[in-house]
Amino acid sequence: MSQYYKNSRLNDDYLSIDSIMASQERVTSTFRTKIRNLGFLDIGSDARDLEVGVKMELPYWLAAFLCNKRRQIVEVETPKQYRAGQREILNADPVVVDLHKLGPHFYKFGSLFLSFQIPESLNISRCLLETFQGRFKHIMDISQNCLNEDLSKVKSKLDECEKVIFALGQDSLKDFQNWQTRESAKLKASKMIIQQRKRKRNELD
Amino acid sequence: MEDEEDNIFSGSDDEEAMTAGEVLQKLEEAWMNEALSPELLMNKSDIIDCMMEQINEMENNIQRVKTNDLKIYIHKMELERIRYLLTSYLRIRIKKIEKYATAIMMEDGKRDPDDAKLTDSELQFAREREKNLLELFQNLVLQHMPPNMQSLEKDKICSKPNLDEYVFFRVNQDVEGVLVEEETVDNREEVIDLKKGEQHIMRYKIIRPLAETGAVSLI
Amino acid sequence: MFGEKALELIKELKRCGDGLLPSFNEETVRQVLEEMKSLFEENHKDVTASSEGEQGLFPGVQLRHAALERNKRILLTYLNERATSIAELRWQMGTVLPPDIRSRLAEHELSWLQKYNKSLTAYMRAVGADITHNLKPPKSLLIEVRCTTEHGSIELTSGRTLHLSRGTHHFLERSECEPLIARGIVEEI
Repeated sequence: MSQYYKNSRLNDDYLSIDSIMASQERVTSTFRTKIRNLGFLDIGSDARDLEVGVKMELPYWLAAFLCNKRRQIVEVETPKQYRAGQREILNADPVVVDLHKLGPHFYKFGSLFLSFQIPESLNISRCLLETFQGRFKHIMDISQNCLNEDLSKVKSKLDECEKVIFALGQDSLKDFQNWQTRESAKLKASKMIIQQRKRKRNELD
Repeated sequence: MEDEEDNIFSGSDDEEAMTAGEVLQKLEEAWMNEALSPELLMNKSDIIDCMMEQINEMENNIQRVKTNDLKIYIHKMELERIRYLLTSYLRIRIKKIEKYATAIMMEDGKRDPDDAKLTDSELQFAREREKNLLELFQNLVLQHMPPNMQSLEKDKICSKPNLDEYVFFRVNQDVEGVLVEEETVDNREEVIDLKKGEQHIMRYKIIRPLAETGAVSLI
Repeated sequence: MFGEKALELIKELKRCGDGLLPSFNEETVRQVLEEMKSLFEENHKDVTASSEGEQGLFPGVQLRHAALERNKRILLTYLNERATSIAELRWQMGTVLPPDIRSRLAEHELSWLQKYNKSLTAYMRAVGADITHNLKPPKSLLIEVRCTTEHGSIELTSGRTLHLSRGTHHFLERSECEPLIARGIVEEI
C-alpha cells in the first residue's frame, strides 16, 4: 500500500498559499444526488436545481468535500493530465513534457487527487514519483550550471514545485559566485528598501 | 589563534568545566545543527549563557589594554566573530519559533518541563506571538464571520515543520541498526549501521534522535 | 463558483512576490465576509425548513458549508501571510516605518506590528543581545562606505559626530554602519 494515500502533509498545511492554489484546480464531477436551489452554479443552465447526472468542473476543494468515504454526492473523473495516455507520454520521456501546461501544480494537485482513492490512484502516484525523479537531475543540472543565459524557455515548462527547486539551484550558484568575488560578505540595503526605491524611480519617470 | 583565545578568555577557566575553546566549538556545532535542521532543536542555554559571560569578560579585558596594539585588533575581530555566531544562532531559533510557535508549544506541553525545547524567554515570545496572531485574526475577520465559523482549531491550522526534509550529516559515533523507511511507492525498509566519520544524505525524521544526542552533526 | 472572490486575495499576494506588501484589500475582504454571511443565511433557512419536514435540502447545506470553510481558510491565510511580511519589516527597516509602507497596513495590522516589536524587544533584553544586528559574518572591523543620501549629522557610539552628505566616504565600525546600510543611507564599497 502506497504511503501517498496516508500522507496528508499537503492537507495539514492549512495556511499555505501554494496548497490553496493547488486545491483550486478543476475536477470533472457528475452529480449523483440532486442539490436543490443551487442550479445557478452550473453556468449556462437555467435549471433551478443541480439535477442527478449534471456534469460540472468543480474546484478540487469542493469535489473532495462532496466525494469521500462519508458522502458520495458527486463522482469524479481522473483529470486528463493524469490519465493512462498522458502517463505513457510522461513515462517515455519525462524531461521534454511541458508540465506547466499540464499543471501548473502538477505534483501538488496530483497528490491531492490521490485522496479520492480510485482504482487508478496507485498508477498515478507511481507516475508522479517517476516523473519527478526523471526530471529532477535535468532541472538541477541546468539551474546549477547556467547563470547568465536566457532560461525563460526552460523555466516556462516547469511545474510550480520544480520552479522552487530551480530557483534554489540558481540561488546556490549565485551565492557561490558572490562568495568567490567576496560580494557576499558585503552588507546590503534591505530588500524592502531597494524595492521601494525602484518603485519611486518608476513613478518619477 | 588558540593561544590568543585562551589569553582573552582568561579568568573563567577555573570556574567552568569547559575551556573557552570547547565552549566556542560547542556553539559552532549548535549553530550548524540549528541552521540545518527543519525543526527547532533543544535549547542550549547553558552554552549560550556561558558564551555571553565570556564575551563580556573579553570586552572588559580589551578595554583595559592600550588601543594601538595589533593584538587588540585581532581580539576585537574574534569578538565580532563570536558575537555573529551567537546572534545568528538566536536569530535562527526565533525565526523558527515565529513560524511554528503553536506546534512547538504543543510539543513542549507533552514533555517534561526540564526537557523543554524552549527557554523561558523563548516560551514567552512564542506565547505572545500566538496570542497576537489570534487577536489579529479575531479583530479583522473572525468576529465578522457567521457564529458557527468563529472558532479556531489551533492544532489544525498551525504550521508544522517538515520532518521528511532531506539533510546532509556526518556521523560522530558508531550507531547500529538504524531503520530507514524509503518513502516510495513500494515502501521498502532497510536497516543500516552508521560508522564514525561517514557522511550521508537522508530524511531528517530518520536521524532525528541522533541529531539531538550529538551522535550525528548536520552539515 | 463560491470562493472565487477570496482567491483574488491570494492571487494578489502571489503577484506581488516577497519584496513588496500590497495595500490591505479591505473591499475584497468585506465582499468575502458578505458571501459568507449569505451562505450562512441560506443554510440557516434550509436547516429550519428541514426541521419542519422538508426533504432533500441537506446536500445543498453541505455544499455551502464547504464554501464557508474555504472562504475562512483563505481569509486566514491572507492575514497570516501579511502578518509574516509585516513582522519582517521590523527586521528590514527597524522600528520606524516609512509613511507609504505604513499606509498599506490596516489599523489592526499596525497594532500587530507594535505588539511584535514589543515581544521582540522583550526577548532581546532577556537574552542581552540585539539579534537584528550582526546579520553577516564579519570580515573586517572597519567598513568603507559611501553616503547615498543627504542625511545630515549622526552621533556615533564613540561620541564623535559624523556629517553624512551625498557622495562622501567614511570608515565606520561594522556595528555602527550596519543599520545605516540596511536603511539605504550609506552603501558598502
